[in-house]
Amino acid sequence: MKRRTLFFMGLSGLAGCSGRRKKRLNVFNWSDYVGPNTIARFEYDHDAEVKYLVYESNEEMLAKVFSGNSGWDVVFPSNYYVQPMAESHLLAPLDRSLLTNLGNLAEAFRAPGWDPKLEWCVPYMWGAAGIAYNKRVSPPPKAWADLWDKRFGGRMTMLDDAAEALGAALKMLGLPLNSPDAGHLDRAKRELIRQKPLVRAYLNAEARDQLVAGDLLASQLWATTTSQAMEASNSLEFVFPEEGFSVYADCAVILRESDQHELAHQFLDYLLRANVAASIVQHSKTATVNEAGRLLLPPALGKNPVLYPPAGILSRGEWFAPLPPAAQRLRDRLWTEIKSA
Amino acid sequence: MNRLRFWFLFPARALNGLLFLIPLGIIVLYSFMTRGTYGGQGSPLTIESYQRLFDPLYLSILLRSFWIAGISTAISLLFGFPLALFIATAAKHRGAYLNLVMLPFWTSFLVRTYAWMFLLRDTGLINTVLQSFGVIGEPIPMLYNDAAVVLGLVYGYLPFMVLPISSTLEKVDPALLEAAADLGATPWVALWKVIVPLAMPGIVAGSVLVFIPCLGAYLTPDLLGGGKSIMIGNIVQNQFTSARDWPFGSALSLVLTALVMGLLWIFVKKGGQKAL
Repeated sequence: MKRRTLFFMGLSGLAGCSGRRKKRLNVFNWSDYVGPNTIARFEYDHDAEVKYLVYESNEEMLAKVFSGNSGWDVVFPSNYYVQPMAESHLLAPLDRSLLTNLGNLAEAFRAPGWDPKLEWCVPYMWGAAGIAYNKRVSPPPKAWADLWDKRFGGRMTMLDDAAEALGAALKMLGLPLNSPDAGHLDRAKRELIRQKPLVRAYLNAEARDQLVAGDLLASQLWATTTSQAMEASNSLEFVFPEEGFSVYADCAVILRESDQHELAHQFLDYLLRANVAASIVQHSKTATVNEAGRLLLPPALGKNPVLYPPAGILSRGEWFAPLPPAAQRLRDRLWTEIKSA
Repeated sequence: MNRLRFWFLFPARALNGLLFLIPLGIIVLYSFMTRGTYGGQGSPLTIESYQRLFDPLYLSILLRSFWIAGISTAISLLFGFPLALFIATAAKHRGAYLNLVMLPFWTSFLVRTYAWMFLLRDTGLINTVLQSFGVIGEPIPMLYNDAAVVLGLVYGYLPFMVLPISSTLEKVDPALLEAAADLGATPWVALWKVIVPLAMPGIVAGSVLVFIPCLGAYLTPDLLGGGKSIMIGNIVQNQFTSARDWPFGSALSLVLTALVMGLLWIFVKKGGQKAL
């Protein structure tokens, strides 16, 4: 009896320790998306404690957050999930008066299509998918249609992602990236099945090492992943396909369930600081939406044409948008057909 | 005495109930619900997920999974039986051999599968060595096909074949083989007519233990198959991740569970459980 009492006293003592008066913020972000000191410095500046954990896919994050009492304050959905999350009452509206550094955003991200007034989200990083290839391929690929050509002789991969692979086929056919039309999606599926004998594998980040090693001659790949591969090998190049390509942005949002709205706004504003944004991408090697931060970077990173294509190329990009549930399900089924063909 | 027995078994039963029956119940419940927009599930209740299982697309993938698992089991038996026989009849170091069979379990399956990728790649060890000796000019594409998947499965589950067979073979009285020889049987005939029948419980147990995890495999077809030849496990995994269709994923995994239980039932009927 005595022992048990002691045990419970110990427990409540522990609880007392962790419940110090420090404010506490829970942040759930993609892996490799902050620098080594980013979080520690915010904790120091604001005398707060930050619980920081990472995820690998939107779905992983959404599955947790959807319950409405996940315990997270700030998460980073991709742009096409911002509106659906807002419509499901998961997000807290942003108070722009607390976001003093919004002016650091690049022009294209101050009024993005998925949240024109930045009511719900602050864009954070962005990226595009195109073709990474080995320079010894001749002639070099310029368009998605080149990935249907035999010259890669089975040493070519497509992304293992329904939206990206079907998106490339849709773009090649001159159709919209986010088409919910069953006829369009079916045509794209048939193109991918026709292409399959030429595809070595459907790979995501794993393609990077095999491009560097020379196993692969060409891959449908994200620009950020390719720029990492290009640091490791001089023989690689990247092209934004002629027919157009997919673009996405990951955005910071504050969850409605959060009871730390002020601290969360301070965190978002902190990430918007030019020097913070710059130090983050020096570590992550991804493309920041923070123009002021980009200008602080060494030219090899801040003016890298793979990460920051010129406006003329960027105009061919098309943003991913949410699909209606029926089209989502169709897309998944078609993808299963392609992969089991 | 009975009370004591009840209380001693209680923790195991409670754990079993909590960690097995409750999750299983949740999966059954999910499988009758409607897909939520972001994963998850909602009302109304429906049997739609089960109707979708009869889609020829998913049936063909199920059939393929049986085929791949069957081939992998057959090859495991082909390699596992001689190895088990060798270990069971070894005069010395039997324990050491068994430990060697189990040695790969000391590292994670994921890491070992990646190791195979490094061996099989175009610029991997095998192709590099063959090229440097001039055996081949161009690298042989060994990764990302069905053969690589079967190789990975056989490699991963071979110990499950070897252990039950060797444990049944250890119990075979060597005098039986002497008797067979005395009665004029050649070693081959003795193997077929004496050893194999006696080892049958171990062979059945080993085959079940290899076949079941192969049937539900998703890591190996994904990593060594390059997502080009998917199995039913990949479909289940996809429903819980990018497809965000938990009810359908639940229905698929329940059907897979039912098939595995059917197999186990046959296995118990055949009396193979003694070998375990």
